[in-house]
Amino acid sequence: MIAKKLTIGAQDGLHARPAGDLVKLVKSFPGTQVTMSTEARTVNASSILSILSLALKKGTEVEIKADGPDEDKALAEVIRFLESL
Amino acid sequence: MEGTLAIGKAWILLRGNGAWEQSGRTLEEAFVHEAGRLKAYIKDSPAPEVFSAHLEILEDPLLLDTIKKNVEEGMAPSEAIKAAADEISGMFSDTDDEYFKARIDDLKDICRGLVEYLEGISDNPFENLPEGTVVVAPKLFPSDMAKMDLGKVKALVTSKGSSTSHVGIIARSKGIPFVTGIDISGIQTGDLLLVDSNISEIVVNPTDSQTEEFKDRLAAGNKIPEKMKQTILRNGVKIFGNASSVKDIEEAIRSGAEGIGLFRTEFLFLGNNRLPSEEEQYLIYRDAVEACQGYPLTIRTMDIGGDKPAPCLDLPKEDNPFLGMRGIRLSLSKPDIFKDQIRAILRASAHGKVRMMIPMVTRLEELKQTKALVEECEASLRASGICFDNELEIGVMIETPAASLISDLLASEACFFSIGTNDLVQYVMAADRGNSSVSYLCVPLDEAVVRAVRMVVESAKKAGIPVGVCGEAGSDPEVAKVLCELGVDCLSLGSPALIKELRPL
Repeated sequence: MIAKKLTIGAQDGLHARPAGDLVKLVKSFPGTQVTMSTEARTVNASSILSILSLALKKGTEVEIKADGPDEDKALAEVIRFLESL
Repeated sequence: MEGTLAIGKAWILLRGNGAWEQSGRTLEEAFVHEAGRLKAYIKDSPAPEVFSAHLEILEDPLLLDTIKKNVEEGMAPSEAIKAAADEISGMFSDTDDEYFKARIDDLKDICRGLVEYLEGISDNPFENLPEGTVVVAPKLFPSDMAKMDLGKVKALVTSKGSSTSHVGIIARSKGIPFVTGIDISGIQTGDLLLVDSNISEIVVNPTDSQTEEFKDRLAAGNKIPEKMKQTILRNGVKIFGNASSVKDIEEAIRSGAEGIGLFRTEFLFLGNNRLPSEEEQYLIYRDAVEACQGYPLTIRTMDIGGDKPAPCLDLPKEDNPFLGMRGIRLSLSKPDIFKDQIRAILRASAHGKVRMMIPMVTRLEELKQTKALVEECEASLRASGICFDNELEIGVMIETPAASLISDLLASEACFFSIGTNDLVQYVMAADRGNSSVSYLCVPLDEAVVRAVRMVVESAKKAGIPVGVCGEAGSDPEVAKVLCELGVDCLSLGSPALIKELRPL
């Protein structure tokens, strides 16, 4: 299991559309469990509803954890995706 | 602007108040059915991303897990779905963000679809919608929009909802005025309604003088296309349509477009972790050509850059994706992927008039390399005995200052030009139109842009090739006038409603 923290930089936070893209990205690593945590909660990053329920706004700090065969690539891709928003 | 005023007869939506009976259908069947329905909507919708987001929610493990948990606790499946919708909505209720609230509506819409299927309600309440209708409902859902014949809908009026909702997005893309926050209790089916979405107001059963005044305003709003129409007629400019799906093409052609000036192919690659095969692409392009009914179809090869989510292309992150590996640069850097697309386009060209257009060109070499790849693909198709158009036209999108500066060279190798105003303006002015502090520079009629366009048109005329415009700016009457006078041969427009207005017949 590996983890990394980042701060949401997107002006409008994480919207449904990018959240959907994020879920697709996570699902492209079957067998690897990816979670997102804020101070309040930890959710499964393959669940769009769970991600949206975090209501991630600009400036929120999130910790991404990946666990599984592709954890390195999955974590790097997720971080890259979130940073590019 | 069009799409803010409407006059029509009220039509009150009555939803089937289904009896709480079991139809013998299972939860699993309901999920499969709903997924199939959403996939069909994605294919046909003017705003496919709306239903993609729905599908994502439907396939969310949280939804199924919550429903199953409720069933295990002894609830009937349809009750379990409703309870799950409430439970999950509860997770969002502590946010006051309008956007997230709107996603609750998406969830409820999906759950309603599941319940309706389980209960055996399959009627489309919009089946017999009369022409010129203003649909009035407490609330509308995206699935309602997919069920309505939007050609018959003049406006939408609801008591709840927001203009930023998915229903709002679809309404806007169709130029249909949408007003929310209205007390609809006093409205009856058949009432005459004046709808003004600028100020979110409606008038129920107006007086004659109110109606007259409103009609004047409607006519004033329509005068702009009238003027634009005159310019277009005078200059003999053709009207084409822009499209991102086969459905868009059908609509543009139905509205009177004389061809498709821009068929985007990014949807095949974006958000996809698997590359579309040649065969998949061919089938879509073939449908697209057939939808053109003999009119030309201009297929733009993939126009993707590092700013777009395309896991299947595994693009590296770039500091400045708009000046990075995108458009034709990306295609030429991945020749195997590019050749699949070219072969699919060539095969589709056997079914009608197809033109291939390459985006983000900055050097003549890019066009030459593309043509060499096309020749290679042609040779291999010929060797396999597969039919294609031997004279497939290959054209260039002019959207960089470099392309305008060398337009004379490009014109000697290209069969046509198409000016992409959105990007051309940004690159010529070195200003991001999304950046509000410099967006004042992103004006298509700025002298520098006009000069760039003039240069391109002159190069095209000299070489005797047609030059069109496929950017949003062509929809602006002032800009269209200048473009027509500069000598542009064709305007390719995104709005079927505007195409309908402008077509001379």
